[in-house]
Amino acid sequence: MEHLLKIMTKPDNIPIVLMLGLTIFYTWFAARKGLKNDRQEVSEEAKQADKVQVWPYLVKVEFLGALLVMAILTFWSFGIDAPLEQSANPTLTPNPSKAPWYFLGLQEMLVYFDPWIAGVLVPSLIVFGLCAIPYIDINPKGNGYYTFKERKFAILTFEFGFLLLWVSLIVLGTFFRGPGWNIFMPWEYWDTHRVVALVNVDFSQFFFGVPTRLVDDTLNPMAMLIGSFIVLGWYSLGVAYYIWKRGTPVIRKLGSLRYSIVAFLFLTMMALPIKVILRIALNIKYILVTPWFNI
Amino acid sequence: MSRKNFLNVAGWFAFFSFLATAVVGAIRLMVPRVLYEAPSAFKAGYPEDYIVGKVNENYKDEYRVWIVREIDGFYALAAICTHLGCTPRWLSLEKMFKCPCHGSGYHKDGVNFEGPTPRPLERLKITLADDGQLLVDRNIKFLYEKQEWSKPDAYLNYG
Amino acid sequence: MLGIVEQLRDKMQRTEVYKSIFRHSYQDTQRNRALQILDNVFLHLHPVRISRHATNIGFTWGMGGITFLLFIILTVTGVILMFYYRPAAEYAYDDMKYLMNDVAFGPLMRNMHRWAAHAMVITVMLHMFRVFLTGSYKAPRQFNWVIGVFLLTLTLFLSFTGYLLPWDQLAIWAVTVGTNMARATPFLGSEGPFGPELGMRIDNDVRFVLLGGTQVGPPTLLRFYVLHCIFLPLIAAVLMTVHFWRIRKDGGISGPDVSTKKF
Repeated sequence: MEHLLKIMTKPDNIPIVLMLGLTIFYTWFAARKGLKNDRQEVSEEAKQADKVQVWPYLVKVEFLGALLVMAILTFWSFGIDAPLEQSANPTLTPNPSKAPWYFLGLQEMLVYFDPWIAGVLVPSLIVFGLCAIPYIDINPKGNGYYTFKERKFAILTFEFGFLLLWVSLIVLGTFFRGPGWNIFMPWEYWDTHRVVALVNVDFSQFFFGVPTRLVDDTLNPMAMLIGSFIVLGWYSLGVAYYIWKRGTPVIRKLGSLRYSIVAFLFLTMMALPIKVILRIALNIKYILVTPWFNI
Repeated sequence: MSRKNFLNVAGWFAFFSFLATAVVGAIRLMVPRVLYEAPSAFKAGYPEDYIVGKVNENYKDEYRVWIVREIDGFYALAAICTHLGCTPRWLSLEKMFKCPCHGSGYHKDGVNFEGPTPRPLERLKITLADDGQLLVDRNIKFLYEKQEWSKPDAYLNYG
Repeated sequence: MLGIVEQLRDKMQRTEVYKSIFRHSYQDTQRNRALQILDNVFLHLHPVRISRHATNIGFTWGMGGITFLLFIILTVTGVILMFYYRPAAEYAYDDMKYLMNDVAFGPLMRNMHRWAAHAMVITVMLHMFRVFLTGSYKAPRQFNWVIGVFLLTLTLFLSFTGYLLPWDQLAIWAVTVGTNMARATPFLGSEGPFGPELGMRIDNDVRFVLLGGTQVGPPTLLRFYVLHCIFLPLIAAVLMTVHFWRIRKDGGISGPDVSTKKF
């Protein structure tokens, strides 16, 4: 525990503790507001829709808020020095080497996926998916007030992505990843000599006994077939759901193009934790190996 | 196509080609022509000075290269993790290269066996210079997955 | 004594200079409250009147405003740091040491810059979280959400480029790990899918253009410095202008009138 306290109070990690606290608080706070609105005829926001003068009512709040933030920041900066380590040395890699904390979720993904997926594809899809949100969420309700009942899918999906993937992977990367990028429990000492056997096995080998490579080291077409089947099968879940539910008003209003974007983004997002679990629990490295890329 | 229409199309065409050229030029400007980095080829001393079976780390700091002496020859490994380019460490007790960034592990010959890396370490061209010293050229790489390790300059036979 | 102060104040308020600057009196009237906003280019970011729930901190969390404040703090402290910092590999680290040890209030400025940067990443994420939860990206404000997403990525890039500038071990390795991913870009990276097939090498791919070399070195430091201090803040400022202007056009903070909508 003492060790955890030491990591938590490292100057660069304090913002993460702060973020964790604020995120949890606001998730609870927003849920409470949403549920309260859901129980009422008229939302709290609509009750407060009458106009007030910006001067002084809003400017006052902004001014006090600015003072408070600047006071906190000043005390924070007086109290804790920004870290400055040894001078840059390209030949000496510190152990562990971590990206800035807000990228630790992506760095964590690098353990489970090849760099082009974790470092390029996933971030691009995050940005694309975020930009697409207003255009694929065609539910007109819940515009400008807290609610849960009226947009369950949207809120649960976003909270899953933001809290369970983005935030908790940052926490995992900061507090649980030690030397050699091994997982260390908070009470464990960060032993630089610890060696954990991470012998990799591919999906087809593990479940069907089909090795990825043949004896002469070329790729096994059978393993590729199994891998492609799994990947395509995962995405065809979206197609199957469309065929099953295509008569419902929601899907009909969404249209096939918007539906495919939603389904693709949703299934991709859900695939991340599945691969994480496969990797951690069963040491599975790849599901699909091709000469050009591996998944 | 009417004359007015033609001029309209031509005008916009000229405008966008100018824009595209400017963008290409700006990108080209960001690509340096001359690099002030350590030379790619370097001499690594006399073969007799190497101990059989040991990984030599003398050239790691300056050139990011390990030179391994085996009973029948030499090979040079680039000290760049093939996962994301960190510098792995040689753990002489465990007899493996271990990357501190994401835990990739490699055997002494450079073949990966654990962690997220997709492929083995890269071997570099190693030859004997005229004066009898070892000569390593970091620009010429030999990749295991392309069956290049069996090429002549990837391994220096030396009895 | 007080009488003299008041007399002086009244006299000052009657001068042409004072009147030309403020153009209306400070008496608390409806008209002056409106003029206070209308006559001030900065406050005119707001409309004169706004829904009451926009002033409710429980509704907005104030995260957008705090993010903007932190951006201003970062600009000010950043400019001050530039007086003591040279973006060359020989000097950068020594300048940091000098700044931390021998410059009056140097550590304070650097700490504020660092912690405000971290805080800005957090507030920008929470702002986005709140905007999502209140559905404030819905019509007519869809495109402003998109601009917000770009501003979020710009915030991350700004923070990331700034990370390299101290030129210490933390900086160089965090940036090495971060930029090595660019190697793996499909088509454009030397190790990405289809990259080598298209002739991408370590010295001509997208990472090379970003770093100005094959590894994180002196050219990278200069590039990141220019990106961090000029290029990215300018783009962010332009996008923020659009972001705020669109908020204003859509009825000020916390948006179109809720009462006009059916619940």
